[in-house]
Amino acid sequence: MAILSKTASTGVPKSGTSSKRRRREALWFYLFVSPWVLGFLVFLLGPMIASVYYSMTDWDSFTPPTWIGLENYVTLLTDDPRFWRTLWHTFYYAAVSVPLGLVLGLWLANLLNKQVRARKLLRTLIYLPTLVPLVATAMIFRQVLAPNGPLNDGLGLFGVSGPAWLLDGNWAIPALVVMSAWSAGAATVLLLAAMKGIPRELYEAAEVDGAGPVRQFWSITLPHLTPIIFFNLVMGMIGAFQVFAQVYILVPKGKLRAAYDGAETMVPYLFDEAFGNYHMGYASAISWLLFLVVLVFTLIAFRTARRWVFYETEVK
Amino acid sequence: MPVDEVRMSRRGFLGIGVAAGVVTLTACGSGSGSSSGPLVMTVWGGDADRKTYQKRIDLLVKKYPELKVKLQLIPSDAYAQKVQTMIAGGSGPDIMQVAESVNTYSSKNQLLPLDDLAKKAGLDTGKRFGPVGSIYTYEDKLYAIPDRSGAITVYYNKDLFAKKGIEAPTAEWTWDDALDAFKELTVPGKQWGYTGAEWFPQWWSLAYQNGGTIIDASGRPAVDSDEVVEALQWAGDLVFKHKVAPSKADYADMGSEVGGDQAFPMQKCATHANGFWVTAGLTDAKFAWDIAPIWRGKKQAVSAFGSGLAISRTCKQRDNAFKAIDFLTSDAAQRQIIDDGEDVPASLAVQQSDAFLKPAWMKNDVDMGAFAESSGFIFRAPFIPEWNEMISAIDSNLANFWLGKESAKKALTALQSDLESIIKSAG
Repeated sequence: MAILSKTASTGVPKSGTSSKRRRREALWFYLFVSPWVLGFLVFLLGPMIASVYYSMTDWDSFTPPTWIGLENYVTLLTDDPRFWRTLWHTFYYAAVSVPLGLVLGLWLANLLNKQVRARKLLRTLIYLPTLVPLVATAMIFRQVLAPNGPLNDGLGLFGVSGPAWLLDGNWAIPALVVMSAWSAGAATVLLLAAMKGIPRELYEAAEVDGAGPVRQFWSITLPHLTPIIFFNLVMGMIGAFQVFAQVYILVPKGKLRAAYDGAETMVPYLFDEAFGNYHMGYASAISWLLFLVVLVFTLIAFRTARRWVFYETEVK
Repeated sequence: MPVDEVRMSRRGFLGIGVAAGVVTLTACGSGSGSSSGPLVMTVWGGDADRKTYQKRIDLLVKKYPELKVKLQLIPSDAYAQKVQTMIAGGSGPDIMQVAESVNTYSSKNQLLPLDDLAKKAGLDTGKRFGPVGSIYTYEDKLYAIPDRSGAITVYYNKDLFAKKGIEAPTAEWTWDDALDAFKELTVPGKQWGYTGAEWFPQWWSLAYQNGGTIIDASGRPAVDSDEVVEALQWAGDLVFKHKVAPSKADYADMGSEVGGDQAFPMQKCATHANGFWVTAGLTDAKFAWDIAPIWRGKKQAVSAFGSGLAISRTCKQRDNAFKAIDFLTSDAAQRQIIDDGEDVPASLAVQQSDAFLKPAWMKNDVDMGAFAESSGFIFRAPFIPEWNEMISAIDSNLANFWLGKESAKKALTALQSDLESIIKSAG
């Protein structure tokens, strides 16, 4: 190590080229990264800082903002039942849809990993819902979830009389969860790819030792998949906390009000405050509280990850 | 891919969360409304609206070649947000279409009072538009000139009425007359006598007919009065007690986007009360239909749908903008609105003209005079600055009522307290 660095520093011509090359590389680096940096500064960082300021003002977006300090935050936390309700809806949706999506994805991936016929076709079919635009999905689901729609007819076959999903406030979030489960194919594809990467010899060794398929799944497949599960968990959680379009389209505020009130999550709420009621400052404060919530949960996920996520390169 | 999806939604979130910031960054840019370029005019609607507005603008330019107007059509759902962003971004429109939420803008000092300009141009809104002429007045100042204005009328299926031997509805029908007819016309589970009570303009008509008001003369909410409670309960009873109007569950079973406007042309409902646009879905109807003015309660009252044209405070060519509005709302340009079958023009003279009473495109023999007749008893709806919040609170508090889970009294008592806090805090 010492010798190497010594020769490098004494070898004048060599170090000249290498530092020149390094400088040129750095130049290219800055050149290529600049569109992103500029975009970040202008379209993200600037507005983010501005929104911190606006969150401490009373601003209707037309007239100049008035500074009110932390009043928006105080009102939100102490005197706004709608805020707590939307926060609860957000947790409820995330807590059900994320684990459900993971379990479904894992189950489907495991099925597809078997030597079944028409595997490629099935894989495509399972991934297909992810490619359907959300608006189309929501339109279809509105019919599927109608009081006498196919889903309730199906439940009727088992003697269950289904609820009026999109009319009843209490059933609106379950309806959103059902819709989110429909696109579990996205996680499936990632999990399936990871399953294919697990060395065959592990399974062969396990078989020789007499482990059945269930034991193989829990002891070999699942541990190897934990990094992907973790990735899906974090991304799914962030996505669920920020759910907007699903609510906005499946249970439009103007049309299905009882369901909207029963399912309003934080982003639709802040959108409504900003663009429906012209409370831009208040909406900015909501967005920062949401940011904190997402941050806390992501940190918790990363903290606990050490205990259950297994990386092959890591020695434990 | 899932990763993209997640990134997209996160970007969407940031976009919304910090839209405030983006708005300001651009707000420092150039001032709005150039002093020599074309006037920018924003309107909402679809393609049919674009065509009609453009034709009217073409008429304007023909008359005043020195005027240039750039029409900007924005889909109805996005109109308020788009205009809000344009104004906040410092490039607001010169002329903008406004409606019930007009005073969101005027109370925030975004619109130009038009009294002086109207006086200078010799435009008498009372004469041109009747009582509707002052509908866009706020704190004694006129902020928009009416452009389109049509009352709710009762659409009825002549075939179904004839089959049951029921006489056509008239403005002199009482609530009892209406209910009797609806009962006759109902075939349980298959066909309903009526649709059109759930939307606020519809049951507001009943409330005002019953002597109630939504906001009283002193500006306080008054939805928990006996008159309003009785009217709303009557409307709710049509659905849940007498079952002569479809419930939300019934509509949902008819299809994903079906409401009264669709159920009437489908012949699921024999009578429907709503705005002029219902006509558009009836041009190819296989049955005979007609319209009539709405029935009466203790007195005559009906909601109207309409819009006006306003000039934004930042407009640099005020005289030109007013000249354009004056012409666009004149009889010559208003005729185009009915010639295209777009809407009911606000001008009384046009509403009573042959062009309106016998439109060339109308295949049926329809009593278009019902609109002029109704305009005599249009009540003045409360266009308060907190309009959006008020409507949102109404929808929210009545949601359970319209599912048949709550009485009108209970729902309106809760609504009253919500409205009191909205109107106080925003004042």
